[in-house]
Amino acid sequence: MSTQTTPGTEPSAASGSTVEPTAGGTESLPAKVLRILLTQRIALLVLLLATVLITMSQLSANNYLSAPYSTSYLAATLINAVPLVMLGLAELLVITSGRGGIDLSVGAIVSLTGMVFGFAYGEWGWSLSTAIVLAVVFGGLCGAVNGALIAYLGFPALITTLATYYGFSSLALVVNDQRPINSQPVQDLYSTASAVSLPFLPEAFPRIPLGVFTFLIPTALVVWLVLARTTYGRRLYAIGTNDVAAEWTGINVARTRFTAYVAAGAISGLVAVVTVAQFASARPDSGVSGNGMALPAITIAVLGGVAITGGIGRVAGVVLAALLIVWLNAGILLAVPGNAGSQFQLFALGVVLIFAALLNGFSNRRYGGTS
Amino acid sequence: MSTATLTPAGRPDGEPAAPAPKGRQRILPPPVTGQEMVLIVVIALLWLALSLATPAFFTSGSIVPLLVGMTPIALIGIGMTIVIITGGIDVSVGSIVMVCSVIVAQTMVGSGLPLPLAVLLAVAIGGVLGLVNGVLIAYGRVHAIIITFGTLNLFRFIGLQVFDSSTVEGIPRTLNFFGRGEAGRTLGIPHSFVIMLVLAALVWWYLRHTAGGRHFYAIGNDQQAARLAGISVRTRVLMAYVVTGLLAGLASCFVLAQGTSSLAANVGSGLELAVIAAVVIGGTSIIGGRGSVLGTVLGALLVQTVATGVTQLGWRSQLSDLFVGLFILIAVGADLIRQRTRRAS
Repeated sequence: MSTQTTPGTEPSAASGSTVEPTAGGTESLPAKVLRILLTQRIALLVLLLATVLITMSQLSANNYLSAPYSTSYLAATLINAVPLVMLGLAELLVITSGRGGIDLSVGAIVSLTGMVFGFAYGEWGWSLSTAIVLAVVFGGLCGAVNGALIAYLGFPALITTLATYYGFSSLALVVNDQRPINSQPVQDLYSTASAVSLPFLPEAFPRIPLGVFTFLIPTALVVWLVLARTTYGRRLYAIGTNDVAAEWTGINVARTRFTAYVAAGAISGLVAVVTVAQFASARPDSGVSGNGMALPAITIAVLGGVAITGGIGRVAGVVLAALLIVWLNAGILLAVPGNAGSQFQLFALGVVLIFAALLNGFSNRRYGGTS
Repeated sequence: MSTATLTPAGRPDGEPAAPAPKGRQRILPPPVTGQEMVLIVVIALLWLALSLATPAFFTSGSIVPLLVGMTPIALIGIGMTIVIITGGIDVSVGSIVMVCSVIVAQTMVGSGLPLPLAVLLAVAIGGVLGLVNGVLIAYGRVHAIIITFGTLNLFRFIGLQVFDSSTVEGIPRTLNFFGRGEAGRTLGIPHSFVIMLVLAALVWWYLRHTAGGRHFYAIGNDQQAARLAGISVRTRVLMAYVVTGLLAGLASCFVLAQGTSSLAANVGSGLELAVIAAVVIGGTSIIGGRGSVLGTVLGALLVQTVATGVTQLGWRSQLSDLFVGLFILIAVGADLIRQRTRRAS
């Protein structure tokens, strides 16, 4: 997938950046605001997020919604953001590693690791912490299969992860004869998905699902630290931007890319634990039923400004994109009750994604490159 | 540069050309590439093994469903091959099939649509949805995978809106002509399989022997060079997605014909991955610029054979996905090895 549909973008973008003044004293304020919105994905996402929140609150205040769009409702829906953000971050790592990097198999890894975790914790009586470690290691191993094929043997990522998607999801179904594991310890895990009120905060503060603190925030912090504050992060951006140049600067391209896939697998392993807790059951199809988990995760990553060609992407963008989609979906569910609501969520996701992608293409040509 | 579109000798596609007939220099790759030969052998071996293992395999009661069952994947695969040759991808085909089949099914239930009109309706809707993809990709200058991820959701939304309830019930058997039953066969050969073969042969010839067909390969190899050589890249890219949409529309008729009298909302979900798998197993390079429709048809046949074989051997049917995954990896691995040896020589 390294070939771009529009190579015309590249040269015009390159020339644009030299012609256009990047920060101009001559630029008027509206033009400056427009440029920031178009070139800074995070600014655009914040604006969209604010628009969604204000619109929905207005609708709620005028009683157009079936239930109030309140802060406690918003906080409760954050549970949906946990797997979405985490898998979006996994895709961020993999897509940023470049050479058509993508991971279609994350949903299948969630299914398979969920079953392994279910066996360890629910059937073999392992303690929770060792079972979680097992899930992370096992997810990492699944990711290592992808990484070894892609980074060391040079397989195209899209096809490799399609193949492992088939393999892992098939194994997940076969391993327990298509039956879920919901023994008592697994069912008791549901409490980790419930909401907690925070200490040190006033009682009026909305209750936030525990998973946000135990899984989402630590993962996001670690990924951010690695990407923004370590040499590994710089290497990853370097190989994603130009892996030949990176090779010549002495970076071990294959190992850096391999590690990205292993990390994506390990994050998927953590998501498996979250998913098992959320459903109080280890379901063999948890990560692949319906549209699966991989497609929404890739969508979130792209919406968050991760360039599909590699080398560009930020944690904040992915988190904001996931919040935008989760809170937009939450609003849609209230505005359009019942089955139609979940259908309109698909519509919103599709429109937002295409809109963001077209805008990206446009701002690339107009200003030359987004960050 | 104009020779680049006519002579693929410089491309990795070109196996060393066979001794050319006198008087006319042929620089086309051989009609059957290495990957396709391997596939033919693998399929032959599988069929042999299966017929030895289960005597029921080589009866028409088993072969006909196999041939009919592979047609939707092979049919969409023909379009997907063109798309992937241009360096793109279309992950929205499953949703296109869903929209087409639900609209056709409901129209048939509502008004007793005759067969030709039903096919026409399905193909027309598929074409329009393909056009949406094509316009966004060719003119929006965004990578195909992002656009089609978006339209995957949009089309699914449209389909679910049309579905209204969760299923369509009491679909008349108008489309039996394409089915696996008695009405779907002439002299024991299923119609849908023949239609698929004819379309595949047409596209195979077009891609291989016409200048227009070679343009797709040129675009996939180097879009910039293709544009400078005077190829209308946008029109070609647009065409690839429209053709895929049209074929997905026709495939939805086959899907309906193979189904029961009720249609569930999950129709077509996951189909895009099966189609991409068939195309890749057939030796089409996901990077673009290389591939053939013949390989795709063989790939679809292999995938369907594995599924049939696993069921007939009494294994768990979910295991067939594992084998499909393995076949994808083997196919891509074999392709990589061939490329490297070619580059080394």
